[in-house]
Amino acid sequence: MPLAALLGAAALTLGACASDRSAAGSSFQPVRPGVLTVATAFLPAPGFWQGRPPTFGLEAGLAAALARRLGLHRVEVVQVPFAQLVRGKLHGADIALSQLTPTKERERSVDFTTAYLDAPPGVLARKGVEASDVHSLQGLRWVVSRLSTLTPIVTDRIRPSRPPVVVDDRSEALAVLRSGRADALLLDLPVALGLAHADWRFQVLGQLDGGEDLAGALPNGSSNGEVVDSAIRALQADGTIDQLVSRWLGKSEDDVPLILTEQ
Amino acid sequence: MTLLAAITAPSGPVFEFFVLFAVILFGPIIFSRFRLPGLIGLVLGGFAIGAHGLGWISAGNHTVPELGHLGLLYLMFVAGLELDLQVLKDYRRAAVVLGLFAFAIPAAGGFLLGQALGWSTAASCLLGALASSHTLITYPMIRDAGLGSNPAVASAVGATVLTDTLALVALAVVSGSQTESGSGVRILVELAIGFVVLLVVGLILLPRAVDAAFRVWGSDRVGRYVVIIVALLFMAMLAQVFGIEGIVGAFFAGLALNRLVPNEGPSMERVEFFGAAVFVPVFLVSIGLLLDPSVMFTGETLKLALWICLVALGGKAIACWLAGLLLGFSRPERAVMFTLTAPQAAATLAVTLIGFEIGLFGTSVVNAVLVLILVSIVLSALLAERVIEWLPSRVVHRPPLGGKVLVVTTSTGPSDAAVRVATLLARPDGGHSEVMITRTPTDPAPDRSALRAVEKRIFRHGFDGHVRTDVVQLDDAVAKAILTTEPSLVIVDEPSFDASPAHVPVLVVHGVTPSPRAVRLIAAADDKNGVAAEVARRLARADSKLFRGRRRTDAEAAKR
Repeated sequence: MPLAALLGAAALTLGACASDRSAAGSSFQPVRPGVLTVATAFLPAPGFWQGRPPTFGLEAGLAAALARRLGLHRVEVVQVPFAQLVRGKLHGADIALSQLTPTKERERSVDFTTAYLDAPPGVLARKGVEASDVHSLQGLRWVVSRLSTLTPIVTDRIRPSRPPVVVDDRSEALAVLRSGRADALLLDLPVALGLAHADWRFQVLGQLDGGEDLAGALPNGSSNGEVVDSAIRALQADGTIDQLVSRWLGKSEDDVPLILTEQ
Repeated sequence: MTLLAAITAPSGPVFEFFVLFAVILFGPIIFSRFRLPGLIGLVLGGFAIGAHGLGWISAGNHTVPELGHLGLLYLMFVAGLELDLQVLKDYRRAAVVLGLFAFAIPAAGGFLLGQALGWSTAASCLLGALASSHTLITYPMIRDAGLGSNPAVASAVGATVLTDTLALVALAVVSGSQTESGSGVRILVELAIGFVVLLVVGLILLPRAVDAAFRVWGSDRVGRYVVIIVALLFMAMLAQVFGIEGIVGAFFAGLALNRLVPNEGPSMERVEFFGAAVFVPVFLVSIGLLLDPSVMFTGETLKLALWICLVALGGKAIACWLAGLLLGFSRPERAVMFTLTAPQAAATLAVTLIGFEIGLFGTSVVNAVLVLILVSIVLSALLAERVIEWLPSRVVHRPPLGGKVLVVTTSTGPSDAAVRVATLLARPDGGHSEVMITRTPTDPAPDRSALRAVEKRIFRHGFDGHVRTDVVQLDDAVAKAILTTEPSLVIVDEPSFDASPAHVPVLVVHGVTPSPRAVRLIAAADDKNGVAAEVARRLARADSKLFRGRRRTDAEAAKR
């Protein structure tokens, strides 16, 4: 009898636990009631934001899952230039999801959420290009973007034998790569995987050691930090983010070979 | 100038490991100067080097949290390993009553608090589990004051097995509901199957497998330790396969190996050494990385901490009071039960961290729980000092028969039968054995390889202890050992040995197989019957099991 009572209590508790999934602590305060407003820079961003309206992709899926978790009914997307996003200008959005890597400088302008993806540097190359170690990477023709936090890694750790082509932003860098004027471009690995998954002309040669993360950004001083962090951890724990990675990036970061650049 | 320009600020994994181990070294040293527990120093040290402190270990660092997770598994494993199952057996009624009260009342309080604060049901359940668990931090103080065998103390120690197991079951149910997909019934069935598998593997298969592994690789100290670690990780992995948190499996692994790794034996020394030096401190430092003063010192977090302290400590006080009343314990005895069940550390941190990882708890809850841990430890340590004075009856604790078995043998080394008798008598009490090889001044000193060969041979019989040598006559060795090493039982591996009964029973082995017929007891008249009956019972139980291997044993003995 006590065992039956214990099992009954466990079943009731479990049923109750499964029915609601919000965390302990403060609740989410959206800018617009019932709506999660998300700012992003690149539309479309292969693997992350696709479709019209942009409802497909890893970050689109993450935004939808976050909205569900936070008890909101829908997601609205606003496009904001990247330079403005990292300066904290979210144009009235609750959160920015735009393949952002937290840096100390950016932290002065925005509050970063807990990371939702590891983002070591990944080498995106044209199909047919081959390189498996740092020496062969040095022999490639590189394109780098002035604004990217990864550019110093190309110049200081890979040290290409030829000067890289320098462009203003990622879109231009991809155009250079497509045109064949360069062989390789260093991107955050999830971004590189998303591009390679969406465009047959690209492949990911490998990932470099060390790395950063991808995180969301909230307006400076936002009261939603704790509840959004908890929601992201919950989505990691229940496998939602893994499912999104496998669907939109094609393969896991663990499947990408590591290329050591520091001896 | 060029040379100076080449010098850069330290960074990278080597620097991170350096600051991590510097905290592990200096954190406890600094805090012990202020008479505060070392674990507080580790947690605050973690904060100091973390993203909210000096920023030497960044928020994106994965190595320390992952090592910390291994430390958490290790911590729960050691918690299961150290529990005195004999005490639970001896005081089972009182332990079960106190265990149920000490779980149910704080758990109900935690759940109601969560609901009152508007938390989700899952988060409220987890808060209940968090408040209901406890760690026997003050037990060494109480034991050293000679109160280890006080029934109230023994009941509180035994109750810990039940309380922490129930708290971990609650954690498993809640975390399973959050991380597994499917209907509630499906998840419950999966968890129930998982617990059955863990119980069967933990109580039946794993002890046998580890015992067999010890017999094969046990003479190699490294091999013995690695077998223990593999067993721990296997159980943690097995739990995860069924959607149960790894720490539950680690705790079960500790319970499974409880008898095989005696608390005073050399294997336990190694387990505790690596735990104290690396795994557990790294876990505590990783907890400190989460500490955020901008969150902790806000009115909201401090108010939450106050409520959690009231629920957890108040719940334990009510539980001890009611259980003590029901069991007929005096007020000081109820107070000693409170000082033992109030401290929140290992299991509380485990539940909190899991709650954080699965997104049920935010940083404010983690910081509030750190306040609870600090308050509960300081409060119970201060109270323990008082309670020791209130309980004047220092009962002289008589160790159990197999608590510490000493085998005294001649220079040829112990016979297989003596070692097996020692193991059979020590294991039911979770005790350990030691071997003393005596030799006369004229005997040649044994070289290292000869001693190693003896160790290798006796470890095959499940022996877990030290082998020592001494230049002394066998008779004198027994008398000296009784006075100096305080064994619970001496086994003399020399059939012709005889002596007057002393306060420690002496068992003379004269047969080649361990059985009641192969031993002769020398004990004081007042307890001879009890000891003889217990020895006969333990050896007879093993006799039937050993019968299958008797032919081989006899052959081995003949060879020797």
